[in-house]
Amino acid sequence: MSDIAQHLSEAPVRKPSAVWTAIRRNPTIFIGASILAILALMALFAPMITGDPLRMTPAERLRAPSETWWFGTDQYGRDVYSRTIYGARVSLTVGISVALVASFIGLVIGLVSGYFRRVDAIVMRIMDGIMSIPSILLAIALITLTRPGLGIVLVAIVIPEVPRIVRLVRSVVLSIREQPYVESAIAGGTRGFKLLFKHILPNTMAPLIVQATYVCASAMLVEASLSFLGAGVPPEIPSWGNIISQGRSFFQIAPWSILIPGAFLTVTILAVNLLGDGLRDRLDPRLSRRM
Amino acid sequence: MSILQVRDLKTQFFTQDGIVRAVDGVSFDVGVGETVAVVGESGCGKSVTALSILRLIQKETGRIVEGSILFNGRDLTKLSEEEMRAIRGHEISMIFQEPMTSLNPVLTIGTQIAENVVRHKNVSWEKARERACEMLELVRIADPRRRLDEYPHQLSGGMRQRVMIAIALSCDPKVLIADEPTTALDVTIQAQILDLMLELKEKIDAAIVMITHDLGVVAETAQRVVVMYAGRKVEEATVEDLFENPMHPYTRGLMKAIPRLDLDAEAGGRRIRLQEIPGMVPVLIDPIPGCAFAPRCPFATERCRMERPPLVENSGGHFAACWEVDRVREIAA
Repeated sequence: MSDIAQHLSEAPVRKPSAVWTAIRRNPTIFIGASILAILALMALFAPMITGDPLRMTPAERLRAPSETWWFGTDQYGRDVYSRTIYGARVSLTVGISVALVASFIGLVIGLVSGYFRRVDAIVMRIMDGIMSIPSILLAIALITLTRPGLGIVLVAIVIPEVPRIVRLVRSVVLSIREQPYVESAIAGGTRGFKLLFKHILPNTMAPLIVQATYVCASAMLVEASLSFLGAGVPPEIPSWGNIISQGRSFFQIAPWSILIPGAFLTVTILAVNLLGDGLRDRLDPRLSRRM
Repeated sequence: MSILQVRDLKTQFFTQDGIVRAVDGVSFDVGVGETVAVVGESGCGKSVTALSILRLIQKETGRIVEGSILFNGRDLTKLSEEEMRAIRGHEISMIFQEPMTSLNPVLTIGTQIAENVVRHKNVSWEKARERACEMLELVRIADPRRRLDEYPHQLSGGMRQRVMIAIALSCDPKVLIADEPTTALDVTIQAQILDLMLELKEKIDAAIVMITHDLGVVAETAQRVVVMYAGRKVEEATVEDLFENPMHPYTRGLMKAIPRLDLDAEAGGRRIRLQEIPGMVPVLIDPIPGCAFAPRCPFATERCRMERPPLVENSGGHFAACWEVDRVREIAA
């Protein structure tokens, strides 16, 4: 390398401007990720920034938002602010864990289904079957069969999300396996599983990451719906869904106990979707939003 | 001595419309260190021949129904899938037509070359990376150490084809099958890649099977030529023989269809029309009883349509499958 080139390569890079251009080029990722980061920090440090979400103060029932009660209180005199922040824990846990678990299961099934033609027909018919079950009904059925809790809610939400991931991964595998570079890897003597994991799997990552964000958003919504219906997390764990559900009967006199968790839910879903849209544009501009 | 002997190879595809006889009884030999070109137009079975040698025909759609492929005395058609894998990319390797899509976009160049070395030579990844670096240098890629960590999209088409060649040669193959290695490249890069292949051939002494439809490529690279038409071999000769004295009417037609500047000059600068071969390539589903070229051949007789002409040696090492060779020759003379 010549001296000039050496000098150029060692020239100090102005970090702030690099970060700034990255943000400017893709503002949606930045906005989505920032909102989620703030929410995650709030949820993580909830005990430090809020009070006990379960403590009732009967004398202070249905107070409007004020300096003492930032988001007001509900009909039992519980602090809506504490409850909302604790509720973020449930939503984020559900969103992230459903996205991870469903992606992993979907990835494995999708790879197998796309790569081994013999199992494909059977697996895809099973997936079609699962997709035809309304997810809320399936969740209610599962929850009524067992004791309510966060775990069973996760299972109930993961099951209907898996086929979506499977279809996506399978479709990517089907197109990648016909690519000339896969043929040329076979011509180089690559064996089946190596081919699948080394040459095909990495190509599924970009669309899978994008799809996972949409699964995350959808899981949060389903959890809120289930909790609202009383089939989600048990009432002793505050979640945006059950806060809204409990505030429903007092909507006219205490709308804050519905509007505020509702707004949090909306903003969170929006943030996840923004992140997903940004990642989609960044990773694969041709991929459609929903399979 | 031949390293590769293809004998009466028949590869067929089973479609809903019937059996496609993509390769219909093709035989040829490739000597040690020799370059043999297989030429013909699209759909004549030359790529299928190449894929058949490596047994890469997809099982779901087609297979080798007859014939043998002797490599170093071993019949490749009888080997297990496991044994074939050890040969692919190692003793026989292949360069594909599409350099833009023949490299995996998510793996670095270094990984893709080293992977082949690790697989077949049983060496550590560090050693394989060293080998990859040497290979990049061999195919004349500047700054090879830096290129090892780059991804295919960072390279131009010509460079990608160089990388493909590097992968193909990384395990010192005895036979290199090049399936239209220059077709997807523009003309200046084509010349560079051909030069590179000729130069490397001196160094690595691998035999090359050059699949192409470009007679220019044939003239520059090969010693011997196999001309294919409709899945059959119609002529085989040394390059000099073939260009000086094409015997089969199809080969003659191909020669006439090459644009030539010197002919324009002979005609006193007047533009002369290129001659095309009339008609269409036959559909390979219906069995063709006679000569496959007969419907398009100006010399065709009743016998051509009814009886399949055998491949006959007409002069030393020059074979042609044509009933009317003598008439074709007279007209040429």
